[in-house]
This record gives sequence, C-alpha cells and structure tokens, in this order.
Amino acid sequence: MPRIHLGQWAESAVSWLQTHLDWLFDIINTVLSGAYDGVVAVLGAPHPLLMAGILAVVAWWLRGLLPAVLTYAGLALVDSFGLWDEAMATLSLVLVASLLTLLMAVPLGVWAARNRTVSGVLRPVLDVMQTMPAFVYLIPGVMFFSIGPLPGLIATVVFSMPPGVRMTELGIRQVDGELVEAARAFGTTPRDTLTRVQLPLALPTIMAGVNQVIMLALSMVVIAGMAGAGGLGEAVYAAVTQVDIGGGVESGLAVVILAIYLDRMTGALNQQVSPLGRRSLAKAAAAARGSVSATFLRYRPGAAVAAVGVVVLALVAGGMNLAGTGDKQTVAAGMNVGNGKKIKLGYFPWDEAVATTYLWQNILEDRGFAPEVKQLDPGPLYTALAQGQMDVQFDSWLPTTHKRYMDVYRDRLTDLGAWYGPTSLELTVPSYVKDVDSIEDLKGKAGQFGGKIVGIESSAGNMGTLNGKVLKEYGLDGEYKVVSSTTSTMLAELDRAYKKKEPIVVPLWTPHWAYAKYDLKKLKDPKGAWGTGEKIHTVAKKDFAQDFPKVTGWLKNFRMSEKELASLEAEIQAGGKGKEKESARRWLDKHEGFADRFAPAGA
Amino acid sequence: MSRLQAEHLYKVFGTRPQDGVRRLEDGAGRDELRADGTTAAVIDASFEVEAGQIFVVMGLSGSGKSTLLRMLNGLLEPTAGRVLYDGQDLTALTPRELRAVRSHRISMVFQHFALFPHRSVLENAAYGLEVQGVERPERERRAAEALELAGLKGWETSWPDELSGGMQQRVGLARALATDADLLLMDESFSALDPLIRRDMQDQLLDLQTRLKKTIVFITHDLNEAMRLGDRIAVMRDGRIVQNGTAEDILMRPANDYVASFIQDVDRSRVLTAGAIMDAPGGDRGAAEVLAAAPATVGAETPVAELFGPFARGGGAPVAVTDERGGLAGVITRDRLLAALGEEPAMPTPADAREAEVTARA
Repeated sequence: MPRIHLGQWAESAVSWLQTHLDWLFDIINTVLSGAYDGVVAVLGAPHPLLMAGILAVVAWWLRGLLPAVLTYAGLALVDSFGLWDEAMATLSLVLVASLLTLLMAVPLGVWAARNRTVSGVLRPVLDVMQTMPAFVYLIPGVMFFSIGPLPGLIATVVFSMPPGVRMTELGIRQVDGELVEAARAFGTTPRDTLTRVQLPLALPTIMAGVNQVIMLALSMVVIAGMAGAGGLGEAVYAAVTQVDIGGGVESGLAVVILAIYLDRMTGALNQQVSPLGRRSLAKAAAAARGSVSATFLRYRPGAAVAAVGVVVLALVAGGMNLAGTGDKQTVAAGMNVGNGKKIKLGYFPWDEAVATTYLWQNILEDRGFAPEVKQLDPGPLYTALAQGQMDVQFDSWLPTTHKRYMDVYRDRLTDLGAWYGPTSLELTVPSYVKDVDSIEDLKGKAGQFGGKIVGIESSAGNMGTLNGKVLKEYGLDGEYKVVSSTTSTMLAELDRAYKKKEPIVVPLWTPHWAYAKYDLKKLKDPKGAWGTGEKIHTVAKKDFAQDFPKVTGWLKNFRMSEKELASLEAEIQAGGKGKEKESARRWLDKHEGFADRFAPAGA
Repeated sequence: MSRLQAEHLYKVFGTRPQDGVRRLEDGAGRDELRADGTTAAVIDASFEVEAGQIFVVMGLSGSGKSTLLRMLNGLLEPTAGRVLYDGQDLTALTPRELRAVRSHRISMVFQHFALFPHRSVLENAAYGLEVQGVERPERERRAAEALELAGLKGWETSWPDELSGGMQQRVGLARALATDADLLLMDESFSALDPLIRRDMQDQLLDLQTRLKKTIVFITHDLNEAMRLGDRIAVMRDGRIVQNGTAEDILMRPANDYVASFIQDVDRSRVLTAGAIMDAPGGDRGAAEVLAAAPATVGAETPVAELFGPFARGGGAPVAVTDERGGLAGVITRDRLLAALGEEPAMPTPADAREAEVTARA
C-alpha cells in the first residue's frame, strides 16, 4: 500500500487558504468577534446580582417560581466563586455559537428533508463534524483567526451543528405524510406547506435539536478554552493544568450551573414556541386551576410582565453602571511611559511562565502600559506570536524543548534573549526511595516502580529525549515503559505516590515548584544523556521592537537568578490561584529596586 | 359534456415509466413489468363523471384506486393520458395553475382525516379559504357555515384531538365544502370509522348531496358502501377498471368472475330495486287491468327487501311496479323475486342452494 499523503495535502490546503483567503478570514473575524464582543458587553454590563435577577425572571416566566429561585441561588454561587465574568463570557460564546449554528443548521435540515441527494451528501459530512476530535480543527482555526474567542466559536459551531441539522431533518420527515398531502391538495405552495404545516409540526423535534446544540456548544466551550476562548473553559483548563483541585471543582460547577439553566430554559421554550406545546400548557393550567393550594408557587408571569421585569432590572443595572465608573488606574508621575498602550502577554501554565508573566504585568502597569495576560497552550501561543496577535511570552526553552516551534516560526518571531539559565532535565524520585541516586541505579529495579515511568505529554521535548536517548544509554528501554499522560496527571500521580510513600520515578525539570513542595531527589546523569541545560528566553512577535522600543530594551536586560525565581514562585504558590497578580505585586514590593535594575522609569 | 373525464390514464412507477406504458400498450402484463422493478399502479383507466353524480371507484387495496384518485387533482402526475375537468386538460397545466385549480375547484377528503393538529376546528375548516387568500372574517364566516352543514355547529373552538373519529371526518368534510369547489375527491373517507358511524356519515353525505349537487369521486373497498352511494361504480383490479356501470349493472351483469365473486357478499335485497328486477307487463292485458289485479303496487325505486311484505299480504300474486307518474312500469312474480335474489349469472351454483343462503341472510 503506497503512502497516501493526505496529511500533507491538508497542510498545504491550510497554508494556501492562509495566504489566499486572508481577506475572507479577516471579514469573518471582524463580524463574529464584533457579535461576540457585543453580547459580552451586554451580558457583562450589569452588576452580577442584577444580571442573575434578570436571568431568574426569565426562568420565572418559562418555568415558575421555584426554578427562578434556584436560578438565582446558582448564579449567586457562581458570583461568589469569583467566576462571574468568566461565566458571562462563556454564556456569550454559547449564545453566539448556538445562534450561528441554528442559522445554518435549520435551513440545511430543511433542505436535507426535501431532497434525498442533499441528505445523502450531508450525512457523512455531519459524521465527520461530530466525530473529528476538536483539536484537529482548533489549531487550524487558530492559524486562520488567531487565538481568542473565534477559533473556539468556529470549533463550537462545527461540533454542535450536526444535531441541529439532523433533528430538523428528522422533525420535518416525521410530519404525517397525509397532512402534507392535504396541504398540497388544497393548493398550498411548497413554501407555505413548509411554513404553515411542516415547520410548526416539526417544531418540538427542532427545539430538541436546539437544546442539543446549546448543550454541545457548552461542552465544547471548555475545550475551546485551550485555544484562548476565555471564560469558564479557560478557568477549568487553568485549574486542571495547575493541579488546582479546588479551582477545578468551582469552575466545573459553574459550567454545570450554566448547563442546567440553559437546558431547562430551552426545554421550556420548546413548549412556549410550538403551537402544540402551548396547547398542552394551556391544558395543564386548566387542570391545575381546580386546586387552590399554593397557587402563588405556580404563578407564572405572562410574557409581558416578564419583559417588564427584565427591562426594569436592566435599567437599574444601567443606572448603577453610570454611577459606578469611578476607579481609574493611577500611575506615578514621570513613570508613564506606556500612555495606556495595550500589550499582550501570553503564557502557558508552567510555573516560571506564570511567575514572570504576572511579574511583568505589574511592572508594565507601573510604567503606564495596559498589559493583558492570557493563558494558552504552547502551540497556539507560538502561532499567535508569529501572527502578531500576541506581543510577547517569557518561557521559551531553547535550544531543545521549544525547538519545533522555533523551527516553524523563527522568521516571524524576535528572540529577546535569555533571562534564566541553565535549566536542567532529569528523572526524579522522592527522597524516601533510598537506594536510587543515579539513573544507573534504576537498572534491575523495575519491579519496585511497577515497570513504568509516569511521563507527561508525549509531544514534550523531554519525553523525546527520555525515550530516544536516556533509557537507551542506560540500557533501561526494555525494562521500563514510559507512560505518556499530561503534566498535571504526572504531578497528581507524584502527589498520590508521595502521600502513600510508594516508589515512583517521573521526568521533571528545573526550575519546578515540585522541588519546593515535596522532598525530591534528582537522579544523577553520569553519562550526560539528558544533554546540557537550556536557557529560558523571552520571545516576542516580529515587530515588537518597532511597537514597543522601550519595553524591548527592558526585556533584553531582564535577568532572574534561581533564588529570585524560586522566591517569586513560592510567593505565587502561597498566594493561591486567581491571586497571581497580587502575589507578584507583593514580591515586587519586597524586592525594591528589582524592576529598576532593567526597566529604569526615567530611561 | 361530462364534468370530469379521464382518458387512458396510466401511472407507472419505476426508473423508465414511459417504457412501461409502451409495453403495457403492447399487451405486456402487470407481472411482467414487476419482474424488472417497474410497478404499474394504474393501467389505461378511462371514465366520465357527470355533474352532480357520485362516482365510486371500488377495489381492494393495491388495485390502484388511490393512485387513480390522486391523478385527478394532479397530486400525482399521470405517466400517460389526460384528465379533463370542464374540458380543461389538467395534465397540461403549470404547477401554479394546477395549484389554483386545487385551491378553488377541487377539494379532497382523506382516509385518516388529515386535520392539522395545530389548528382549531374552525381554522382547519377555513384552511382552503386561507390558501385562496380570503380575508379572515370572510373565511371564518364561510368555514362556520360549512361546519354547520357538516353538523358541527358549536365545535368551532375545539381542537381536532378532542373530537371523535366521526366528528373529525365531519371537519374534514367541512374543510372540503368550505372552498365551494364543485369536485369533491373522497379517498376511503369513511373506512376508518365504526360501522354505525360510517352509516351515519353515508346518510349525511347523501343528504348533503341532494342539496349541494356536487360532483363526487368516492374511493372505497367496501362494495356495500359503493352500492349505497354510487350513481355509477367502477370496479378496479390490478390497476385496471374491469367494470363501469350502475349498482344494478354490477349486480345483475357482472363483467367477469372477479366482479361476480366480489358481489357474492353484497346484501342484494337492499341494493336491487323493484325496477331492476321487474318483468315487462304481460302481453295482452291492459295496464289498468294489471294494476287492478295486483294485490299491491310499489315504486320502481323500492328496494327488493321491501317487496316481501306486499307479496305476503297478496298471497303470492304478482306485484305491480309503477313509474314516477303512477303508470304501470312492470310486474314482479314470486318466482322472479326469488330468482333475482339468487341470481349469480357467472357462478354455476345450483339455484336452490343459493336461494336458501340468501334467504337466510335476508
């Protein structure tokens, strides 16, 4: 069987699209980002508790008093987690994505229901859309639209479209053939047959599809968080990658609260919009009218009353916003170099990246810039830098670990030099594993470690070195199996083993906070199989020096000692999740003059 | 000229329907076509329906009667042949013109009522008028009238699923009547109803027909229904019309064994009329003399079932049959009456065995 180079064709197709249809993607980007930003602005504007009130009134209208109370309680809980903005960003993404999906899915479903050929062609396409792992098109999405909500939006639309199309087609096909024939027999035009007979009768099924679309969109939004879609997805992702169990549970619960709310509301909406649903509601109301008890619990405002309630709350919210815009950022006189210019700092959840990024956020703010920080995976982050969508990131391990990204994007990036080094890669065991001090000592002890080394992402550079070089040179490759997982899984496994005092061996690197948290032992590498250490570079977009000449100078001078970095990481670790910026600020306050060393205010 | 005319209608389903028609015209059978995946649903159907007539198409399921009906209003396009309605060839119309004909001049009543579940009874009855573009007050007034005709006054605001089957079909009937279309196509319209309700509906249709004088094409698989309703009856088998005539024609002179076997189960005494079985008045006696001699006289339209009384009262002497003006039309002897009930011309069954059976059933 000759090798069919489908992958290469796909790659060239993507790059062709990138160069030739640039303008189209720009238009799509502008329109959709505009729509998304608009919805975010509307949903995010009111005070959280007022917005929760608005959503609760909607629940009251659609479902009744108890659901309204539960809605309010759930949303208040989200607010108390400090996840309100994220939740609204997610809600906006879901709403925009669902709307976009339905705008395409319903007409497609109608078309498929009326034309067997269309249906036949559409079916495999939908299968692909539904089952192709999202990451496969998330990354091309980043290439076309850069990081941010848009690739997530597109991925969400792709993923949630199939049930919309399928349920619409099914709903229309399910309509009794005799009814359609009756409509035709009285001379109804095909279009009127669709709008007066088929769509109204298919509406319950179509609404079930809408419900599916929204739920799938919500589940996809979390994955999209990895490509910088923001919102709860990013919160979940950040918590998981940093083994932040508490944060993970909280942000996960926030997703669940949104999911239940959206599910119940669309379910109820189904009854409100479809003629048959309204009838059965009226019947149920008539049946309930007989009993007097607890009627106020069952009272539901009419659409008009509900609309008035929403408007009143929205007006109150608007008024409070006008009154509340008092706080302004204060910059010390003479220090204002940036004049509020935006600068986008990207990082992936490696501790030194988190530490330096938030450190620089504080420093740049002090100098009058408006820095934004964003967590991304390494791949999307390098892509975004190459496209100029991100300005700078601090955690480029060179020449080995991030070689692949640099090879691809070298021409479109600026290396601002190393700020830390050398780093080291190593195999590590807990100190309680007594008779193992060097990699050589692992030989013959596979039984003790269960014959495995718990690794991290198979794509990581050190995994390649471990499999390709280290194990071979020490003759361990038959004895130990490297299990690839994720960094967070590896750290969770380490934590579990450590607490039970079980032997474990993991690939780790310096600097890493695990060395501060646990009592660990780096295995010696007498043969030098891991190679010499790397340096951590600051890498910026290509035009960084033109856009930020002052900052370029500062970053080129930026250096940190191992002691400084360790204390900064410890400070951030101690401050807890979500408080990184404040922790870095505390560290800066303790290290007076640190920033001035390379970023003198007056210079 | 007749109101509705079907000329050599063919409907063939399959990949090359025109080929199928050619082969059928060349004498190929239905089964030969089926062998290569082509289904001949209707083969060479021709008939005429006069204005104000009820034309019944009768056949078992699969005989092609529903397909035939759907070609009359263009729901199915004939593979070959023409449908003339008031001299206008419906098969030559554009889709738009055809829709106009369907909305204004042809109505249809369905087997399973086909009421729109998301519309009230009144909105259902007004549907055809809505398609015509009649303004709401006008169409609601006319729909209410049609519902009253169908015996559903007071049910306007109900919903179809709150009604019994018979009432639902009355809504279906009202919907068809509301458009004032002259031609009514009824596709097994009473088949889904209970026998008693069905009888009621048949009576009501006949009653409406005396007032409205619509032209009706009625499909059924029930011969008794066909005999009750039909001014003319076409019997279909395997896509072909095998006999086309009045109820008496079918009963007295079945065209072939198939029709004959069909009419075995008909209650002949209720279908046959005195006029259909009478003999011509005896040669040498005058009409007045015959009338005077007869113990009883009956009208030509009297069902045979109602002749037994007069015979019993007259001690078996011949009964005289009069025409509409009271003049002598013919006479029926006792032997003639029994023979008519037992008559199965195509069936070589001993007459007395037949007689006993029929008498028992009567």
